[in-house]
Amino acid sequence: MLLFGLDLDYVLVVVLFCVGLYMLVSKSNLLKKLLGLNVMETAVFAFIVTSGMVEGGDPPILVTGTAAPYVSPIPHAMVLTGIVVAVSVTAVALALIVQIHAHFGTIEVDELKELP
Amino acid sequence: MSPDWVEALPWTIVVPVVGAVLTPVVAARRPRLAGHWAWGVLIVASVLASGLVVQLAADGPFSYDVGGWAQPYGIELRFDHFSAWVLPLLLLFVVIVPFSWRYLDHVMPDERRPAFYALLLLNAGGMIGFCITGDFFNLFVFTEVVSLSSYALVAVGGRGLAAFAALKYLFIGAVSSLLMLFATAQLFALTGSLNMADVAGRLNEVGGGPAVMVAFAAYAVSFMVKTAMFPVHVWLPDAHAIAPSPVSAVLSGMVVKVGIIGMLRVYQVFFAADVLELGAFNQTLVWFGAISIVMGAFFAIFQDDIKLMLAYSTISNIGYIVLGLGLASPYAVIGASVHVFNHALIKATLFLAAGAIIHQTGLRTLSDLRGIARRMPQTSAAMAIGAVSIVGLPPTAGFVCKWYIALGAFESGQAPFGFALVFGALFIFIYYVRMLNAFYFQEPVHDVVIEAREAPWSMRVPVIVLATLCLVLGVLGGIPLAFVEPAVLDLLPFWGS
Repeated sequence: MLLFGLDLDYVLVVVLFCVGLYMLVSKSNLLKKLLGLNVMETAVFAFIVTSGMVEGGDPPILVTGTAAPYVSPIPHAMVLTGIVVAVSVTAVALALIVQIHAHFGTIEVDELKELP
Repeated sequence: MSPDWVEALPWTIVVPVVGAVLTPVVAARRPRLAGHWAWGVLIVASVLASGLVVQLAADGPFSYDVGGWAQPYGIELRFDHFSAWVLPLLLLFVVIVPFSWRYLDHVMPDERRPAFYALLLLNAGGMIGFCITGDFFNLFVFTEVVSLSSYALVAVGGRGLAAFAALKYLFIGAVSSLLMLFATAQLFALTGSLNMADVAGRLNEVGGGPAVMVAFAAYAVSFMVKTAMFPVHVWLPDAHAIAPSPVSAVLSGMVVKVGIIGMLRVYQVFFAADVLELGAFNQTLVWFGAISIVMGAFFAIFQDDIKLMLAYSTISNIGYIVLGLGLASPYAVIGASVHVFNHALIKATLFLAAGAIIHQTGLRTLSDLRGIARRMPQTSAAMAIGAVSIVGLPPTAGFVCKWYIALGAFESGQAPFGFALVFGALFIFIYYVRMLNAFYFQEPVHDVVIEAREAPWSMRVPVIVLATLCLVLGVLGGIPLAFVEPAVLDLLPFWGS
């Protein structure tokens, strides 16, 4: 779908990416920062899936009844791997946030910076 | 006919990664065994890597199809002259691990050791994979293996502050990895391929344009963050200073080089594709490099904490490498490629010597450590050799590369940058003189320093070996230079354009 001559999918992806970046940079709460990072990751994944789409394409499975053009399967494999990576990053980040909270009793960056 | 080492290519990744997974199992009953196990695994991997380098020297670059899938559809592992960096990388790990056996006594309880060594092995495996892959998506995956294990390694020893430094590192690192994934996706959308050589060919058909430019820019920014160049260096000092010393040596010496190797890989593809005018980008690299040299050194002067000082000095040394790459003349690029290794060696010497001193005294600032050289003469001597080496004075390892980079600056007619380089070296000289002055010529102020004893042998030997290598590679500096020369000259016809 086109919007002002731009592909709507790509516009949404860029908007989503910027929303995530804004959260990551501007929020003081570490958990909100992490959520921002996750939104950015989702934006990139959406971009990858979109790039594999073919208008009116069939699934790339060789059984009777499917015909070219086929949808590219590689972006899906890439996104799956990307999701696994994103989950691991989130898990490590959460573990670190738990440790910060246990030690300092806060997860607000402005309060953490005031500590000696 | 030399033995065929091509089949060993995937094993250099498999051995450390599987070794990492098995560490907690092997060390389940005796946690201290984990260190010896990790050492053994790394030695096996180094033997494989030396086989690969022998084969490379005999027959030139070679590649392996993972899972038997033919290129360009399957994942290709490729071993060329820049991949040969895996051998010195593994050998440095082999020296660093024995140091950590005793060092960890004060850092973490015994039962956490298996996790520490598993992370260290994973980190090594990730870097090896990064260096030998020929596939863009695979490059991203290995970047994440390296990055994730690095975040965890920063936090592994300390509690609150270490976790905060690690989290800061994680947020910035994750954004740069995302940019890399985005660039990979962009290239895939443009060319329909992920194999590096294949992408280069197809990009040439696609031609230039803003979309290609965006992909290249995303890669460039991503790798600049990973190498911690000046404006985006903020994550590095805290993370590298707060990590346990063996980890600092790995992070400062090797993990930041992931960005440099990545930049070289992307350069190879984009120059082969010949679709972008990259002269302007080279110029940007030169400027960022020069600024990093001066600013890194400038900040280092004001540090009292020895590890923070070493961390800032990493920023200025990365500046040297980036400056060398940007100058794009044979001398400069050869010097920069060799400095990737020499800096790792020197920084490992300095961080391990600093670690030994911190381990013996529990102090870590210059003002507290006055006069330590009387009580720990060997470690301090190693520190002095490392300092002379990183300033770039002959006859040490640092001199060779910096000399080549300076020659390159004059060769390519950009003499002002040659002066920036010398100026930066002067700054670096100032803060290392401060350190040596405190260690050798000032009276001790602490009882701990007066009663300090030389580090145990398992820590002293690695430090002495590394310091000796700094000197040996200064005298025999021509060997690595001659080794990378053909690869660099291969690359350069595209480069200067």
